[in-house]
Amino acid sequence: MYHPIEQPEEIPVREREDAMGAYLMMFGALAAGLPLPIINLIASVVYYFINKDKSNFVKFHALQSLYSQLPTTLMNAGLIFWTLQILSVGLVETPFESFATANDIYWGYLYTTLTANIVYVVFSFIGAYKARKGLLYYFIFFGKLAYHQAYKIKIQEKSIMENLPPS
Amino acid sequence: MKLSITYQESYSRGELLLRAFFGYFYLLLPHLFALSIFGIWGGIVQFISWWSILFTGRYPQSFFEFQVGLMKWSLRVNARMLNLCDGYPAFGINGTDEFTSFEIDYPESLSRGTLLLKSFLGMFYVMLPHGFILYFRLLWGMILGFLGFWAILFTGKQPESWHAFNVGTLRWSNRVSLYMGFMTDEYPPFSSKE
Repeated sequence: MYHPIEQPEEIPVREREDAMGAYLMMFGALAAGLPLPIINLIASVVYYFINKDKSNFVKFHALQSLYSQLPTTLMNAGLIFWTLQILSVGLVETPFESFATANDIYWGYLYTTLTANIVYVVFSFIGAYKARKGLLYYFIFFGKLAYHQAYKIKIQEKSIMENLPPS
Repeated sequence: MKLSITYQESYSRGELLLRAFFGYFYLLLPHLFALSIFGIWGGIVQFISWWSILFTGRYPQSFFEFQVGLMKWSLRVNARMLNLCDGYPAFGINGTDEFTSFEIDYPESLSRGTLLLKSFLGMFYVMLPHGFILYFRLLWGMILGFLGFWAILFTGKQPESWHAFNVGTLRWSNRVSLYMGFMTDEYPPFSSKE
């Protein structure tokens, strides 16, 4: 059982803006002045917990934004770790020369990560635009996951009845 | 924007001394710690709002309310640290206060041109002229604050004009913050009056 999906005209501007904000949280790391990949994820987690009870529409977009950040965050973290490892060689040589030691797998990973980031940013902008219009926009895989979590009616797991009528 | 701090007919000498000797530990430190955490979030929110104004011409309302709450909170703390009112400031974005008041209407739309202008040239046409005057106002305010401390200690009262001057400085600086924080398109006046 799922909650009915709201139509654009039913969604107040305030909720649309809150949903849009979820996608713009990808800029969180830049705003915090720390270009570390984990910061934007923290910002999105905080944003989700602040906004999850506002409406199903906001919850869906906040969740989708959060989930879609996970792969790129992990890839970015891996890239930074790998790059720092290569640069540590530069402590004895020059940093530029240390990249000469990087193998093809590193360069392949670097380009894949860059592509993933570009794809993520493009989809986030589309998501932000659609959210502002009051529309649900489903990302591949994450969209379905977010929809299930945001719109599914949760059945009470166990209703404990301590007070009972006389037998 | 309306900012006011109620002028009290009499001030508590006990609270004054408590703030003077232990205010750093029981008032400033905990509030500063909490405000800095919320301030990081405020910075992120402001940065995102910049993009939102650029694309939609609106400051997201919930973000706006958060920023106003943050400003109210810091006003409550500043008012106590400057001995402008008694009492302990409430924690939190939604905290209330009987002595301080800060009101601003939510702008339904904001100019994209003004946003870019203040972002790239705000340092020159806002921060420099206003900062120059505010610097001297703050210096004078510190002197009045010091004198006000002794006035309260001996008489239990603070000259109303001294109080009004420091409130005016806070009002002025908050107007500049609102403008530079993209929360209004109204250029801050070179005045401390309501």
